[in-house]
This record gives sequence, C-alpha cells and structure tokens, in this order.
Amino acid sequence: MDRRTFLKGSAALGAAGMAPQFAAPALAQPAKVLRFVPQANLANFDPIWGTQYVVRNAAALVWDMLYGVDAQLKPQRQMVESEEVSSDGLTWTFRLRPGLKFHDGEPVLSKDVVASLTRWMARDPMGIMIRAIQAELAPVDDRTFRWQLKKPFPKLLLALGKNNAPCAFIMPERIAKTDPFTQITEYVGSGPMKFARSEWVPGARAVFEKFSDYKPRDEPSSWLAGGKRMLLDRVEWVIMPDPATASAALQNGEVDWWENPIPDLVPLLRKNANINVDIADPLGNIGAFRMNHLHPPFDNPKVRQAVLMGMNQEDYMRALIGDDDKLWKPLPGFFTPGTPLYSEAGGTKIGKGDIAAAKKLLAEAGYKGEPVVCVVAQDQSITKNMGDVTADLLKQMGMKVDFVATDWGTVGTRRASKAPPAQGGWNMFHTWHAGADCINPAVYPAIRANGDKAWFGWPDLPVVEAGITEWFDAADPAAEKAAIDKVNAAAVSGGVYVPTGYFLGYQAWRKNVTGVGKGPLPFTWGVSKA
Amino acid sequence: MFGFLVRRVLAVIPVMAVVGLFVFSLLSLAPGDPAALIAGDQASPADIERIRASLGLDRPFLVRFGEWAWRILHGDLGTSIFTNLPVTTMIGQRVQPTVSLMLVTLVFAVLVAVPLGVVAAWKAGRLVDRLVMGAAVLGFSVPVFVVGYLLAYVFALELGWLPAQGYTPIEQGVGAWLANLVLPALTLGLVYIALIARVTRATMLDVLQQDYVRTARAKGVAQGGVLFVHALKNAAVPIVTVIGIGIALLIGGAVVTETVFAIPGLGRLTVDAILRRDYPVIQGVVLLFSFTYVLINLAIDLLYTLIDPRIRY
Repeated sequence: MDRRTFLKGSAALGAAGMAPQFAAPALAQPAKVLRFVPQANLANFDPIWGTQYVVRNAAALVWDMLYGVDAQLKPQRQMVESEEVSSDGLTWTFRLRPGLKFHDGEPVLSKDVVASLTRWMARDPMGIMIRAIQAELAPVDDRTFRWQLKKPFPKLLLALGKNNAPCAFIMPERIAKTDPFTQITEYVGSGPMKFARSEWVPGARAVFEKFSDYKPRDEPSSWLAGGKRMLLDRVEWVIMPDPATASAALQNGEVDWWENPIPDLVPLLRKNANINVDIADPLGNIGAFRMNHLHPPFDNPKVRQAVLMGMNQEDYMRALIGDDDKLWKPLPGFFTPGTPLYSEAGGTKIGKGDIAAAKKLLAEAGYKGEPVVCVVAQDQSITKNMGDVTADLLKQMGMKVDFVATDWGTVGTRRASKAPPAQGGWNMFHTWHAGADCINPAVYPAIRANGDKAWFGWPDLPVVEAGITEWFDAADPAAEKAAIDKVNAAAVSGGVYVPTGYFLGYQAWRKNVTGVGKGPLPFTWGVSKA
Repeated sequence: MFGFLVRRVLAVIPVMAVVGLFVFSLLSLAPGDPAALIAGDQASPADIERIRASLGLDRPFLVRFGEWAWRILHGDLGTSIFTNLPVTTMIGQRVQPTVSLMLVTLVFAVLVAVPLGVVAAWKAGRLVDRLVMGAAVLGFSVPVFVVGYLLAYVFALELGWLPAQGYTPIEQGVGAWLANLVLPALTLGLVYIALIARVTRATMLDVLQQDYVRTARAKGVAQGGVLFVHALKNAAVPIVTVIGIGIALLIGGAVVTETVFAIPGLGRLTVDAILRRDYPVIQGVVLLFSFTYVLINLAIDLLYTLIDPRIRY
C-alpha cells in the first residue's frame, strides 16, 4: 500500500465511523437503562463510614435493611419475617425471611445481621444509645437472632428502619467486621441492585445492575418498605456538577431523571413537553444558621433572642428559591411540617423581621460591639444565599460582622472548633437539614442542647433536654406530642439554632419514565422506562 | 545534544522535589480537614479524631512528608482518602478524556490560528487583519463557560447535532469520541486560537520585512510559497513556544470546560479533590501536571533544533 492509498483509506474509514454520530448524536439507549443525575458525586461507598445523603441513596439500592420506614413514617418489616418482644420490653427476637441472598450468592444469615448491626451501632446516634443499654446481641440460629437490653427501648424498630444516615444496612459478616472507622472495600449487599464496581469512576459515574435473585416483599412499595420491584435492568448515575449542563442533558434526552434541578432552571424545564417536574421530597428541608453558645456575643441568651426577632424568614426563602411561593413556608419551630410531631409552640417570635425590637433587645443585652465571625460556604448556593441575608441582617441590627467567605470543606472543619472566634473559632455558620432528619429528636442531633455533647454551637439548655427525655419515655402519641411542644418552645426561647424557613425542592424526569415517586430519597424500585 | 538531554532529564528531579515539598506544605497549612468531612454532621470530636488517626493525619508533618516522598520514589502515589482507590487508578481513569480534549483542541486551534495569523500579517492594517485581530481579542476575552453554554445551546439543544455533555472513550468508536469532543474543543480552542493567531501575526510581520523574503518574491515565488514556506518556517520558533506554553492554558481552561460539558477528566478530578481535601489525589495530580510542564518545555527546546539548525545546545 502506498502512502496516498493509505491516507485515502484512513479518511474513508474515519468518515464512515463518524457519520452516524454526527448525523444523530448517540442518544439512543438500550431498553431498561435509566440514566440518573444524582444530587452529588458518589465519592465513597461505605454507608456506615461516610454519612452523606448521596451515599445513603446509592446504598439503599445495594444493601437491604431489616425494617424500612414507609410514607407514614412507620417502620415496616423488610428483611425480617417476624419479631417478638418480651413483656418487659428487654428481649427482642427476630426471624429473617427465608431465601434472602447476598449478591455473591451466599445466604443472608443471622451472624451477618449481628456483625452489621454491631458496626452500625458504633456510628449511628440511635445505635450508640442502644449499645449503651445492650446486654447481648447474638445469633440463635441461621435465621434467628436475639437482642437483649438492660432497659426497654420502644423505638428500636424505628432505629432499624429509619432513613437517616447511617441506615442499618445489612452486609456479609466478613465485610461488616471492618472497623467502623475504616472504609469497606467490597460492596456486596442483598438489595435489589448490584453495584458494578468495575464501572465506578468517582466523580463521573456509578452503575447498578438488577440483582436477579432478589425476592421483593409482597406488599406494595412505600419508601423503604414493601416490595422493592426493579423494573429496570441497569441504573447509571451520571455525575454532573453543573446544573445548566444537567438541564441541557435532560432536555436533550441524554439523561432520564435529574434529582435536584435548581429553581432557576425549573421554568425552562417546564416548557419542555417531554419533561415532568414535581416536588421531590414531601418532607422538604429546614434552612438554618447556628450561633456559637460558647463565646460572646451569642453566649448571651438575649442576643440570640434579638437575632431571632430581627430575622425575616421570607428574606431567606426568597434568596434561596425566588418567587415560587409553592416551594416554601415560614417555620415557627424546629420540626418538619406535615409530620406527627410538628409544633409551633412558643414559635411566634421567630422570623418576623422586627428590626426595631431586635435593636432594643440587643441594647438591653449589653452588646459591646464584638465582631461576629460569620463563616459561610460559598460553594453551596443554599449556604451562600443565606449567609448574604444574615450579614445584611446583622448590619441592620447594628452588629459588627466579620464575614468569612470560604468553602464547605473549611466550614466543616472550622465549625468543629471550640476556640474563640479570634483564634480560629467562629460565631455563626449556615446549613440546612433534610426534613426527614427533623421528624423527631431521635434522628435530629441539631435540636439537642446537651452542652459539650450537642451539635456545633454546643447549646446547653436543660429544659430542651428534659423535653427530649420525656419524648423518649413517652408511652403514647399524645405524650410524645406534649413532650415535643415543650422541646419546641424551649428551643425557641433558648435559641438552640435559628430556623430560616421550610423549603421544598423539585425533581425532573423525562415523560417516558414512569413510577417516579416522592420521598426523602429517590426510590428507583417501581420505576420503568418506555 | 545527548549531554543536554541528560542534564535536562536530571534537572527534572530537583524541580519535582521542590514542587512536592511545596504542595505538601501548602496542603498542610490550608484550612479544612478531610476527617471532619468524612465523619459527617453527626460525628463527635472523638469520632473525627479516630478517623484522622486511621488516615494517618495525626502524625507530624515531616513524618508524613517522608513517607509520602518514599512512596513516590517507589512509584506509588498513595490511596485516595475518600474513594479508597489508588491515586494512579483514579488518574488513569481520567487521563484519556483530558488528553483527548487537549489534543483535539490543539490540532483544531493550530490548524485555524496559524493560517489566520499569517493572513492577518500579510494583509496587515487592512480589513481582514482588523477582523482577525478583533476576533482574537473577543476570543480571548469571552469567558470559557459563556462560550460553552452558547455552543451547547445552539448545537445540542436547538439543532440537536451534537451531545450536550459527556465523554465516550475512543475504544467505543472514533466518531462517538469526536462527537463528544467537538463542542468542548471549540469552546476551549477559541482562547487558544486567539493567542496563537496574535503571536503568529506579530512574528510574521517581522519576518516579512526580511531580505530573504524580498529575494523570494523577486525570484517569482508565489505568494503562498513566500508566506507558508519561506516566512512561516522562519517565524516558527516563537509560534512553537507559544503553542507549548499555551498547553498550560489548556489545562487551566480544561477545568471549566470539563465541568460545563460534564467530561470526567483530570480538571474535574482536581477540583473535586481540592473541595474534599483529598490530599493524596491533589498531590498526585499536581505532580503529574508539573511533570507534564517540564516535559513540554523539554520537547519545545528539542523542537527548536529541528526548526532552526542554527540552534545548538
């Protein structure tokens, strides 16, 4: 072959190879493959070691749980066939469903459950409480295990079925024996999907394949409960850090489902006849900023009260989500609206935007002009927007603001420091809580006010803690509600933190995808694609 | 020449050592703790300390640096704190998209920019020159992400000719590979075209005044021959230099371009690693970039001798 012939041939081959893609971009996909844009990158995959929501969401596909909460927030049996509790509430005996298998073909045995729960208890707040009163957790036979407690724990099934990270996922014993502070390296579960480890490119994609031996329960699915029937062969997570790109890909049919479109782009998506847009999680989110109770000026309860009076929740919500009034509402409390324990007790003072009253109270409190070190993560739009509003609020109130614009990685570290603000500590930082994490005190560390053991800000308010203890001991729903009313009122009065409002988020998907539901995480079971 | 090569290759070692020490020190001084990020919102200080200890972050700076340097000398870039994957594996997963993007951009930019620069020099002061230089200023001034969104809107959303995002490995077909790279390469290429075209024009203007060009014209050499054979060859050294140095620009621009077009390349890997404080990955990528720059400089030096036989080392 001479040079000219070779060049001609190469050119022809290249053109032939390129032609179809240029004529029609590679948008067509094999049937039953769902391409999903998750809220964030799946940077690690150990749902006990790392507690990010995105890890929990992926883990729910791969690892099953003994129980799962349903849409009524009640724990329902999942891997468990039956349970018995002794009359004194101290001994729980569980029996597993027959035929449960891990993805490596091994049966799920009670020793796997014991090892998994032991690892989970080392990291989960409710697990830690159970561990503190545990006498023994041991297998009885291959399908039965027994949990003996020193003190009754009525909310045991809620702990095992809750959707708050870390969830009580069940792994094979050999994996579950990994130190809870060390990451696992095998991703073998017994859930409806297998993790395609070889296709995982952190920061780019994660792939899940249908587990053909999975036996769903007979009941209809409801959140983490009921029959998790996979109608898809494969779910491909495509990581897209840029919302405009995700929007373009969804409009173009290159992806099928986008977990969290930003409000700015929702009107554009709504104009597309091929796309559905709806609320993603009915439990929504609670915006928050926390004040450091250890150092001036927020060690003074009157200063905290002044901020609560001066802030206007509408300002925060407009900054977060614009003019879509369906997406937010004022929140005169700390618990998720629409859930059984929601309370407005004592909340009338929150978020009215009464700057004059706030200034007056601040003067009474003897504020000496100390700078407020306000640490704000600029790489998270929610915290950035709220931080801007807070800086303006504090200035209007006559406070001196030291605005520290940084990234979430730095906020995550700095907020853990108890040092004075001038020595690397802080006075204030912004965050938000998933509504699913604010339904009761057991799953809600941000409401705790037990001083050194409390969440960042370290509020020390015995009245709040007394209410929480009452809730744990409550025997019926009425007693639970009464206890939570006390907690809410005391948390407002003491300024545990400042709720900036309740807001919802959207999800968007192509109309050829059916079965997309609402929930605290994107449930893929029951979803199909035409 | 051989001696020069050996000297240059050996010079890489101290450069890389200084870069390594610099990066390691910088990361140690920077705020942010990966253990706090891993531990999550519900962790106690004791949990965070335990994770720090398990990652070896609680040991003295010099001990950690010594261990890291020792591993590097043995070709081991370490393991990512977050993914638990070897850094070499993570870099390996991301190299192809970035190299592909840079190569396509480079070829496209050189093929467009050099002729534009030559023509602008030839028609200096006239409308064509002003148009080319105006476009160059525009190309250099418009932010990469603006161009990217605009191209994606027109060619992906409105016309439907090309995909809006993603990357297809070349093993899955040259056409699919190229289809994913056209828009990002156009986006990134505009900056690069502007840079090369301006340098080409300036250098060519100088060369076109030389006696040998006048002689070539007097001998009756056609205009194309004068421009692209006689003049361009003698203007090549600065152009090659700017092309080489411009690769640094490409790497910087690739971070934004890879984000806009969701290309899983080294740029995104670096940004993700920085935001997560994934120290081993940051160190590995920075070392790789530094090594690439050193190699590019070496290649440029060697190219000089091929382009201009008068240059000897």
